Amino acid sequence: MLRFLQERVNKTTKKLDGQPAEQVAKQGDFDKVSHQQDRVKDLMRRLAVKLGKENGAEEGR
Amino acid sequence: MALTVSGHAVSGHAVIVSVVLSALAAFVRAQDLPGKDLPKGVQPTAHLPTLPTLHVQNPFQPFDQPRFEKAARDLGATELQVKTFAEEVEEIGAARAADDLLRKAVPAFDTAVMAALDGDPKAALELTKVLVDTKSPLLQAHVRYHLARLFLTSDDPERAIDVLNEYIQHNLNHSPLDGEAAYFYAQSLAEIPMIDAALPRFQAFLKWFPEASERLRSAAHQRVLELERQKESRLHMLADGMKKTTRDLRKQKTDKPVQVDQEKYLEELDQLIEMFKQKESQSSGPASGLGPSSAPANQSALPGGEGTVGNLNNKPSLADRWGEMRDSERKKIMADVQNTMPPQYQKMLEEYYKKLGKADRK
Repeated sequence: MLRFLQERVNKTTKKLDGQPAEQVAKQGDFDKVSHQQDRVKDLMRRLAVKLGKENGAEEGR
Repeated sequence: MALTVSGHAVSGHAVIVSVVLSALAAFVRAQDLPGKDLPKGVQPTAHLPTLPTLHVQNPFQPFDQPRFEKAARDLGATELQVKTFAEEVEEIGAARAADDLLRKAVPAFDTAVMAALDGDPKAALELTKVLVDTKSPLLQAHVRYHLARLFLTSDDPERAIDVLNEYIQHNLNHSPLDGEAAYFYAQSLAEIPMIDAALPRFQAFLKWFPEASERLRSAAHQRVLELERQKESRLHMLADGMKKTTRDLRKQKTDKPVQVDQEKYLEELDQLIEMFKQKESQSSGPASGLGPSSAPANQSALPGGEGTVGNLNNKPSLADRWGEMRDSERKKIMADVQNTMPPQYQKMLEEYYKKLGKADRK
């Protein structure tokens, strides 16, 4: 899931970068892909926090 | 189960995401993560600021109070104000007392700092006007310090580093504010994230500024511990890198270096998934922890905030205030930027206000 989401962000980034000069991307397009990247980041952070808590709990046992 | 990401419900994918997270969590727990026997996690490399070499020797000289007082008098401080400063050094510390003195001596600086403290979007422009108008390295130091804080508060650590690099280049050893500037330099690096650069700078701050305020010193200790833990966790490192890329994309940076960073995130995820598969094939049954938690939270939430130093008040953000301004007010600020600023500051402020306009608001 995370990989799929990141792959989608990468594709959109490449697409925006490769836009021909006559089709200049709008700020909204960049905001959208930035938001997508932010969402993957949030999921990754959530997983890291969850693991941190679980590792801490196991160490305390 | 409700999964909330940045306050947005993602119920459509919630179950799948939850299962994936639980599976990965179980796998990584089984691997004794964070860090053990694993390659170092990824860090972004696109569009990072250039940093001056970190001196092994302390470049900061002890605060020279007579020299500072003379420079303050040159800026217009009265004898009474200087006397009050000397008394306040013991009471509230040299850094804050010095800033208070300069604010009394230079009304335009005071107005600009007030605007910054008040979360007024005009603050960046007002501070830069003072910077452009003065030749005093002392006043420049204080203005640059406040500008850097402002950029850091606006989630723009790269620009904060730019300003603090100018501080280091032109304004070092003029003000007792050097210690605070050193702290926020490290803090900005941590926010980018450039963790390998931030850690030694936090440690240098702790070593070189034993007289810094207890608040900053304990915050620096805390940050060192957090960053060391963070460095051990590949997943936190990955999230940090993605945070940097999120900012790059918002700034319309989609070029090759950003794409290379993104490819590295995929490779890192591939490695984690591959190790998960290996673990699965070696185990006779499902890894523990794949089932539901024995004490699930009612609602999932992300950990709070980016740090608290310098941003302790829960007041409207600069982006909120910018958004609430009338069009005519925003246009006036932008006209001021375009008509009164030298080119290098014009570009800096244009980008800053453009970013404020695009930032997510509450």
